[in-house]
Amino acid sequence: MGVKLLLEKAHVQGIRSYEVYRREGGYRGAEKAIKTMSTDDIVEEVKKSGLRGRGGAGFPAGMKWSFVAKPEGVPRHLVCNADESEPGTFKDRYLMENIPHLLIEGLIISSFALGSNATYIYIRGEYAWIVDILEQAIGEARANGFLGKNILGSGFDCEIYVQRGAGAYICGEETALIESLEGKRGNPRIKPPFPAIQGVWMRPTVVNNVETLASVVPIINMGGDEYAKIGVGKSTGTKLISACGNISKPGVYEIDMTISVEEFIYSDEYCGGIANGKRLKACIPGGSSVPVLPANLLLKTAKGETRYMNYESLSDGGFVTGTMMGSGGFIVLDEDQCIVKNTYTFARFYRHESCGQCSPCREGTGWMEKLLLRLEKGQGKISDIDLLWDIQRKIEGNTICPLGDAAAWPVAAAIRHFRDEFEWHVTHPEEAQKRNFGLAHYADPIHVPAV
Amino acid sequence: MSEQPLFKVTIDNITIEVPAGTTVLNAARKIGGDVAPPAMCYYSKLQGSGGKCRTCLVEVSKGSDKDPRPMPKLVASCRTNVMDGMEVKNITSTKVIDTRASIVEFLLINHPLDCPVCDQAGECHLQDLSYEHGKEGTRYEFQRRTFKKQAIGPYIQLHMTRCILCYRCVFVADQLTNKREHGILDRGDHSEIATFIEKSLENDFIGNVIDVCPVGALTDKTFRFKNRVWFLKPLDAHRDCPTCSGKVTLWNRGDEVFRVTARKDEWGEVESLADGKPAWICNSCRFEKKKTSDWVIEGPRIISRQSVISQGHYAGKIGTHTPAETFSAVHGGRQPKLLMDIHAVSEVNQTDIELSLLERPAHSTDFHSEKD
Repeated sequence: MGVKLLLEKAHVQGIRSYEVYRREGGYRGAEKAIKTMSTDDIVEEVKKSGLRGRGGAGFPAGMKWSFVAKPEGVPRHLVCNADESEPGTFKDRYLMENIPHLLIEGLIISSFALGSNATYIYIRGEYAWIVDILEQAIGEARANGFLGKNILGSGFDCEIYVQRGAGAYICGEETALIESLEGKRGNPRIKPPFPAIQGVWMRPTVVNNVETLASVVPIINMGGDEYAKIGVGKSTGTKLISACGNISKPGVYEIDMTISVEEFIYSDEYCGGIANGKRLKACIPGGSSVPVLPANLLLKTAKGETRYMNYESLSDGGFVTGTMMGSGGFIVLDEDQCIVKNTYTFARFYRHESCGQCSPCREGTGWMEKLLLRLEKGQGKISDIDLLWDIQRKIEGNTICPLGDAAAWPVAAAIRHFRDEFEWHVTHPEEAQKRNFGLAHYADPIHVPAV
Repeated sequence: MSEQPLFKVTIDNITIEVPAGTTVLNAARKIGGDVAPPAMCYYSKLQGSGGKCRTCLVEVSKGSDKDPRPMPKLVASCRTNVMDGMEVKNITSTKVIDTRASIVEFLLINHPLDCPVCDQAGECHLQDLSYEHGKEGTRYEFQRRTFKKQAIGPYIQLHMTRCILCYRCVFVADQLTNKREHGILDRGDHSEIATFIEKSLENDFIGNVIDVCPVGALTDKTFRFKNRVWFLKPLDAHRDCPTCSGKVTLWNRGDEVFRVTARKDEWGEVESLADGKPAWICNSCRFEKKKTSDWVIEGPRIISRQSVISQGHYAGKIGTHTPAETFSAVHGGRQPKLLMDIHAVSEVNQTDIELSLLERPAHSTDFHSEKD
């Protein structure tokens, strides 16, 4: 059993209430931070911990905090990004549903460290019931003096507001989230200026993921150095993985980033293997936007080393033979799944969720969806595959926000690793309607050239 | 105002000094010609515009003198400020040209290409863009997207199918009129310019959305299907208007005024007045004053850049154009025995009479009075 920092107490009876959370040692971190530490100390601890943003990009959180501009007389804001909409990702939901006070405590500490007197939780609209859970937790925290005016006699005032989104994936992008929070259409802003300089209402703003902010609590409790000892290399601490797809035990797992991908999928402690005794074909380890990998490249890197569940190991080999940790939405596909159909589903999602602001993403996502549907239906041409490749290459990197990249990567990876399956859909159009391509050679060991 | 520092920026190997805070696009426009990237959504007179169409993407091969690292991605030149010592590649970068061609392809896949029946044809920025930067064919084989037709009032015609979602009209409505009545509904490739509940746009300055629209999505209903722009004669004219500057361009055929637009500069943007403010015009000037007698005509309007209306293609800024071939170069050094300049020997067209200074049409007495 690995180390658990976030979900350790998640299953204690009644942990949603303040009394139980407090009895289990909750709000100790907030007390310690506000009473004994300076704001710089907290930022320093987070820096030392090596905590990386858990939302997908993996940017060091402490570094992000230290970028915040601190002009005189201008309020600063902390915004918690709870707009968890990436297909395959549901870790924040689990955390907020089960142990809401952990997030609130993390928010209090972080708000204190950043000097944010008005902190916002931007939650996706579909999580309607979680808003109530959070509101209740905020109310309890305020009743016990952890929120409101003069928190714990420190002279620091803080309020947390929960703002519901209206069901747009793009509002999980930090600048679109800020626009939406301001009450505008959720279009991503053009950077620079970065939110750390001009964010909500043109004030310096930090936007962090739910899990990142919750992780601040164990960092303060145990100290940044201790936290950094968990995990490997630059992947410190624990990470919540929401596993889904064709596995025996889908769910949210907290891992300490030292276990291998193979162990994570097949161990009874985690996913419990592929459901119904089938074989593993492919996996998308970090939510729909990250590149899909075939079984052979998933379990071993191109160099023949074991692949581990951490930022570095998963991205070993770049996009050619690697993938990304992403937001931790671990989607497993067994031998009966069709990669073309899966890619089409993702393309349809991105087409639907593109904000329509910049042309490559607006037009390109729709084009890719139509081509993929044609291929999936067996009406495609071989040249369509090359065309898809060309379109994704022209979208990637040419858009305002990362949604364009996120739409391009899954298509690119699917063609890169599963090109013969795409071609089979063209050469065997009728067969492709009746059966799937199957596992084929995707689990065969790959030849590792001797160095 | 304090003296602004000048930044040296090199665009396509041409170095220019511009004040700090200038965008790469505006620096390139100062150089002019092919160096200036095309812009479909950026409009210098509209705050916050730009960054959306991605046609102006350029490569920054050197960030600045202080930090010479190149930028990893292509950047939108309209929203990137110059740094001292920055080096930018526009038409000298194959990556930029390649990307631009694909952006044009993206913009055109859902465009109806109904130029033969579109009133914007001839002065359409998308036409120019695809002519200059696009490829000859498309690889798109699907049905183009269509929209439900929306009526937005007696003066402005909205053709949503032609729209490239540059957001310029939204900025106009936001910044020029006292109440924004339209915006973008929906998202992605089905997002549209609309008024939400079908409502006519009734603001004194809302007609300017027609001028800023780079394509034929917003056109003048009073001019609709009346004529092709290249048959019309643009004239500068003015009138005393209580709401706007009254400085306009009339588009005449014979004595008939077919349409009235604002005066546009070489980048297709509304010109600035002497006080630096853009010469937006009001709805009554644009839609209601359609008689020559309403206007004081100043003279012919020089239209640059627009492919069909202008006779010559401008290679630089207005007024800086020099003919490519000189008189003697045409003759190739030959000394023709008889070289007749009709103006030099004409008795009628005397050089000492400046006809353009006359306030009325020239009359034979003008010529006689000088002689006697």
